[in-house]
Amino acid sequence: MHLQPVVRDSATAAFFDGTARGVFLLRRSVVSGEVVTPSAVQDSAGNTDLEWFEASGRGRVVSWAFVPRRVAGSDRPLELTIGLVQLDEGPWWWTQLVDIDRAAVAQGLRVRAVFPKSGPGESDEYVPVFTPDETGA
Amino acid sequence: MNQRSRASRSPAIAGLGMTELGRVYGKTGSQFAAEAVRLAVADAGLRLSDVDGLLVSAGVANDVGLGLQVDLNLRDLRLLSQMQAFGSTAGAMVQVASMAVEAGMAEVVVCVFGDAPLQEGVGAGHAYSDGHRTHSGWAGLQRSTGAVTPNVLYSLAARRHMLEYGTTSEQFGAIAVAQREWAVLNPLAQMRSPITIEDHQRSRIVSDPFHLFDCCLVSNGGIAVVVTTVERARDLKQPLVHILGWAQSHPGTRLRRNDDFGLVTGAAQSGPAAMAMAGVTTDDIDIVEIYDCYTYTALVTLEDYGFCGKGEGGEFVSTPGNLGPDGKLKMNTGGGQLSSYYMWGMTPLSEAILQARGHAGARQQERHELIMVSGNGGILDHHSTLIVGS
Repeated sequence: MHLQPVVRDSATAAFFDGTARGVFLLRRSVVSGEVVTPSAVQDSAGNTDLEWFEASGRGRVVSWAFVPRRVAGSDRPLELTIGLVQLDEGPWWWTQLVDIDRAAVAQGLRVRAVFPKSGPGESDEYVPVFTPDETGA
Repeated sequence: MNQRSRASRSPAIAGLGMTELGRVYGKTGSQFAAEAVRLAVADAGLRLSDVDGLLVSAGVANDVGLGLQVDLNLRDLRLLSQMQAFGSTAGAMVQVASMAVEAGMAEVVVCVFGDAPLQEGVGAGHAYSDGHRTHSGWAGLQRSTGAVTPNVLYSLAARRHMLEYGTTSEQFGAIAVAQREWAVLNPLAQMRSPITIEDHQRSRIVSDPFHLFDCCLVSNGGIAVVVTTVERARDLKQPLVHILGWAQSHPGTRLRRNDDFGLVTGAAQSGPAAMAMAGVTTDDIDIVEIYDCYTYTALVTLEDYGFCGKGEGGEFVSTPGNLGPDGKLKMNTGGGQLSSYYMWGMTPLSEAILQARGHAGARQQERHELIMVSGNGGILDHHSTLIVGS
């Protein structure tokens, strides 16, 4: 796993409050109940009254890439697994897949979110990355 | 020649200016852009004082703006705008210029792109990467987990195509090999030694499934084109290039769930729309210049434009006799962005103009009456299509 630090802004504050307590928050239209991605400002019909709710943090792998990376200050080459995950509630999430063998990555693989801290600084937020979910169906 | 091209205010390309391209140092994107404008205007047999419209677009250096007007001492412009839809912008600029001259808003509109992503002594891979500073907000979150850069995000799209249709890496390689064959014939190309599928497979992994030879070049330089009326262009220096049809498509699904992601792109709407405007079908197209930031991009665009069936692109490009200088489909006749030069949407457009004029030298095609040009921006977020011809 390799992360880079991220800090919050006003748009992401609530989401990072969730990740800090190990919860994946999503947004939902108060009018229609449609679930939208956390960065959305309206539902597909244009309603802007959205509420936060605790999502399952679970999903399935849609696509992935194995990305060689050289980390500054290290001789050891790294390989990241970048994943595109379809959350059970609907939205897609671009992320990193961790604690997973290359051979195990597959379309439809069940995964769940874990929330490591993105950096050592006090303001560095906790971020969702995904790992195989052995628990669910 | 169709009805559209007989109308006197129909748009035409009358000038093409290309600076030295590739690993050229010591100039900013803006300086390259200014040089390209001067070259294009001279190519047309015009003077800068004849220019009354200017459309500018920047690359990653993001330094080509409205100030270019003053750099070139252009006075009293009737059209001036900075446009940005990334790789689809070159096509979009020509479209706006075409509509401006058709409407009588302007007579001579220059469209220009310039960029200087390469720095001396620094690897090309750094040009499109992120720095290592702390980021914030949603963009920062995505960067935090590494789901960033065109190489990574496009490779997610390519893998989706592979999962759904069985497209293989070797099939992507067939595109790389064929385009290098064209580049061998192109004195303007940066990469002119032939490659094999084995070379493609052995080239280092950039973002699996992409090898190095799946990815386009990075280049410094500038390219400009002059758009005017057919009537005006007839009196100028070069064989005129008619602008016969155009369209754009922007799916609006960036970083949102899109069940078509990687499978069907904006090309599926833009291509047919442009062909409809020109009154042609794929059977009429002599040459196709496809935005090939990746081998995969060219493949999926061919499918979406209708040169082969959806999901059949891998089979189509790897069937002997389809691609390459001796192939049935004349695609990316200069080597494309993969092998010639990467000036975003100006790469396919510039080669289309050279072919349409009959100025493509050893790679010149006998049939060059209808040429289809694609542009791709973002991660399959912005598409433009032009139909040009002689």
